Amino acid sequence: MMIMKRISEWFEVRLGYKELAEKHLTGYLLPRNINAWYSLGSVLLVIFGIQVLTGILLLIYYVPDADKAFRSVTAIMNDVPYGWLIRMCHAVGSNMMVAVLLLHMLSTLFMGSYKSPRELNWLTGFILFNLVLGISLSGYLLPWSQLSFWATTVATNSAGAIPIIGDYLMQFLRGGKLVGPPTLGRFFAAHVALLPLAIAGLIGAHLFLLERIGVSAPPFGLKETKNSWQGDQFRHEDHPGGIPFFPDYLLQDATSIMIYLAVFFSVVFFSPNIFFPVTAFMPADPFRTPAHIKPEWYFLANYQTLKIFPSELLGLMVQGAVMTFLALLPFIDRGKERHPLKRPIFLACFVGGIIIYLGMTIWGHYS
Amino acid sequence: MQSSSRRTFLGICLGGLAAAGAATATWPVIRYLSPRSVEETGGKVSFPESDVPADGAKFFDFRGTTGVVVRTKSGQLVAFSAICTHLGCIVQWEKDKQDFLCPCHAGRYSPDGAVIAGPPPKPLPRLPFSVTNGLITVG
Ligand code: HEM
Ligand code: FES
Repeated sequence: MMIMKRISEWFEVRLGYKELAEKHLTGYLLPRNINAWYSLGSVLLVIFGIQVLTGILLLIYYVPDADKAFRSVTAIMNDVPYGWLIRMCHAVGSNMMVAVLLLHMLSTLFMGSYKSPRELNWLTGFILFNLVLGISLSGYLLPWSQLSFWATTVATNSAGAIPIIGDYLMQFLRGGKLVGPPTLGRFFAAHVALLPLAIAGLIGAHLFLLERIGVSAPPFGLKETKNSWQGDQFRHEDHPGGIPFFPDYLLQDATSIMIYLAVFFSVVFFSPNIFFPVTAFMPADPFRTPAHIKPEWYFLANYQTLKIFPSELLGLMVQGAVMTFLALLPFIDRGKERHPLKRPIFLACFVGGIIIYLGMTIWGHYS
Repeated sequence: MQSSSRRTFLGICLGGLAAAGAATATWPVIRYLSPRSVEETGGKVSFPESDVPADGAKFFDFRGTTGVVVRTKSGQLVAFSAICTHLGCIVQWEKDKQDFLCPCHAGRYSPDGAVIAGPPPKPLPRLPFSVTNGLITVG
């Protein structure tokens, strides 16, 4: 005991970590009416960590060469001890990350926490979401299966509908006229180096903003639900008399993480193939397009939108408009009220938007 | 007090779960990273006798290391591990001198593996082999 005390004292006098802990853990006070939705950010950090760890492990046996990629992934699944577990965690984890990101975005939307002064939190989060879609898309090609090959062909093809630069953009993405070995090279580099670094950087920015601006209080259970920000000068939003992050809210974070892991491992162990149609188990064949090529579930709504518009360009423009609107939402919606029940128009759009998105996804699945 | 002891209890449960989970995850990761054992890579290696040139040597992968079969001037076949017992370089068969030379620190071995010169502390280990119908099987 004595020795432990001396060691901790040695560090304390050099780093002053007790003050740090006081500032960021026990003395970091959160609003009293904080709810479980605020723990999704921690869940996302854990998911990203698992993706990075399993991704690095996959890199040990994965070979980014069009002639060998499929066989290397098959070997990971069948020959390397516990390779199936590492790969399944990585593939299922990528789907989970998109799902949890959607929940996280919906919760901040519903509680109006994107409003001033948190426009930048929303914006960095929105960019993060797009980067995660990008890293999933690029990872999808790596196993070099029929599914990878043709899903990438279709996805990169839609870039070709953009006027003037479309054709060039598509070939730039593919590294050639068609998807082929050069595509694998660039997607691999994007997937394991460029996008993970970009995502890590944006996570840093997102957390910095959170810390600098202060956590928002949810608009529930309060008498005054109007945004109190005045915009005349910088003020950190404090919550005097709130609950400490440590130990109180950390327990909520840990609980949410455990619930997430339970769901995650149930999928990994009991229905790992929900994300793998049969075409995922056939090596890519550039001369034979399989029937019914569909993108991953989170692109089904986009896929269906492209299908229902008479011209591909129109479909792309609609999606671009929706994404731009969502990205800029905090700059467009400047109302002070934050309680969803006191914002009927917002609530109608919120519910309507979710219904349309789900509807398009289901339609895309069955079309 | 009431709620703080509930918190402690919850904290212990969650911490215990996390520790158990981390411990469970260690085993698959160690197995994933460990080199494959001999049983997994298969024990025996076979090739035609004609692969070994007249008074020459043939090197081959053997259980994750390197083996060598040599036909001596007298026409006799011998099989050794080709890993030098000094610091692990691969020995060469010297046709003219009829001995093994390790190029790293000039260790020398006789055709039956014994150390003749240089720093190697031990003879080259022999590999068991058999010849049937012109096929050499090592292991
Ligand atoms: C940040 C979130 C990440 C997401 C959402 C993600 C997503 C994906 C997806 C969807 C696949 C295809 C799944 C399959 O069919 O196996 C994949 C494969 C792969 N990923 Fe990632 N990934 C991420 C991070 C990383 C990182 C950081 C690395 C390495 C530094 C990495 C390395 C790999 C490798 C080597 C493969 C191919 C092997 C395989 O298909 O199983 N990933 N990833
Ligand atoms: S390693 Fe062979 S003599 Fe030193």
